[in-house]
Amino acid sequence: MKRVAWIYHPDYLLHSPPFEHPESPERLIAISGHLGKAGLIERMIPVTPEYPEDADILSVHDREYLDKLETACRRGDLTLDAEDTYLNRHSFNIGLLSAGGAIAGAKAVAEGTVDRAFCAIRPPGHHAGKNAGMGFCLLNNAAIAARYLQARHGVGKVLIVDWDVHHGNGTQNIFLDDPTVFYFSIHEHPTFLYPGTGRRWEIGKGKGEGATLNAPMAPGAGDAEYRTTFEQLLDPAVERFRPEIILVSAGFDAHRDDPLADLQVTEEGFRFMTRHVLALADRFCGGKIVSILEGGYETSSLTSCIEIHIRELLGE
Amino acid sequence: MFVARRMKKTTVTVVPSASLLEAQRRMREHTIRQVPVVSEDGTLLGILSDRDIRAAVLPAGLVPGFTPGDAEKFMKNTPVERVMTRKVVAATLSDTLEDAIVLLHDFRVNALPVVDNAGRVAGIITRTDVLEAFIDALGVGEVSSRLEVVVPDRPGTLAQLAAIIGSFHVNITSVLSTHHVEAGKRANFFRVATLNIGPIRKAIEEAGFEILDPSKFLLP
Repeated sequence: MKRVAWIYHPDYLLHSPPFEHPESPERLIAISGHLGKAGLIERMIPVTPEYPEDADILSVHDREYLDKLETACRRGDLTLDAEDTYLNRHSFNIGLLSAGGAIAGAKAVAEGTVDRAFCAIRPPGHHAGKNAGMGFCLLNNAAIAARYLQARHGVGKVLIVDWDVHHGNGTQNIFLDDPTVFYFSIHEHPTFLYPGTGRRWEIGKGKGEGATLNAPMAPGAGDAEYRTTFEQLLDPAVERFRPEIILVSAGFDAHRDDPLADLQVTEEGFRFMTRHVLALADRFCGGKIVSILEGGYETSSLTSCIEIHIRELLGE
Repeated sequence: MFVARRMKKTTVTVVPSASLLEAQRRMREHTIRQVPVVSEDGTLLGILSDRDIRAAVLPAGLVPGFTPGDAEKFMKNTPVERVMTRKVVAATLSDTLEDAIVLLHDFRVNALPVVDNAGRVAGIITRTDVLEAFIDALGVGEVSSRLEVVVPDRPGTLAQLAAIIGSFHVNITSVLSTHHVEAGKRANFFRVATLNIGPIRKAIEEAGFEILDPSKFLLP
């Protein structure tokens, strides 16, 4: 059995919506409750995240944006922009702690205290850009973890695999011209789903050209299409890029029961993707992989998919 | 919207006495495929495209023993006015973008020089500029979700839909309303600035409208 870090903090529940909203603390309550009942949490190594240092956040986000976010929370604003990205008085701190969770997972794996990590964190991150939170996201947790690995652990090349059903426009933009972070996203086609980016010809810019890879899926696509895409599109790209560590932006909203999208991926699809990235990590990264929770809004499928995801991480 | 808003204002032009070689150099330098031909005071006299140049050089190229050097010499010695199209399809500054779209389509041209009241070239608008206007109008690339609603073709339905979307406190970033394949119905397309599109879809369906389910699009 692999040593898997379980990164979680009870304070993640403090960021809660002031009105009805799909990205709620109940998601994490359901996840930890379900994994506890399944006897899986006791088989992982609990890691308590810490508040990150400023420098680690500033490697991705502008000070101006952080100040704006902090002020908005302190002032009691209910949202950052539209009602998508809500705030309460805790949101700035919990946003930091969520990024701290991704960092804790990256640290544990980089230092070898564990083999793999699952970061059960929220708010999610992949829509958050350098200067703007959006789409339920305040800080870009995966991007911050990638920069942290490069700055503090001498990691050169990082691969981010984003299988949240929405395109991670924040992550893509942050690394658009960076050849050291390869961003792969598989998501519902932008004509049909938020945020409306991630078309197949978005491949990076300047020095980063070729280090962004988008696989938009037509509405109705499911396990078979995901499998083909991983095998035929992702594999050759990873072979060329040769990452030193893999970060997974693990959203579970491509599931057929998720209300926010139109795809048909099942539990078996998530099992396949998990196994697939684990195999890539074994082949290229000495097994180093950190899974970071993004979206997934239907409790039953969210928990059953994460159970499978964790079982695969544990290498049962 | 008027063409003046979408045209390129810094227009590259050539005079009729310029050589084809000079015209080609200018077109390559600015990566354009056609250039308005103007008099000294800027009056539009004609238009020259890269295809016009190729078509002019081609017959000369059929002469035995013709070399690339000869082609250059030919282009150097041929003035633009001998090759340019004199019957120019042009837009005026007071034409609308709709006028430009119809002109580009009906006359099958790639670009329209835009002239002022005195007939002087004020700019140029190309098919690419028009496509850009469409990309903007459709809200492509803006952070948003898309909704497609089929409604009965009767007054007031669009207002009803807008009111429902408005009740969710989200901005509509683009609206398009067209005929539907089914007679007596219209298809309305919205882009709305939210990730959380589910409740809006549901409310629209509860109001009795038909949402096109994206996952059904690909089924035969």
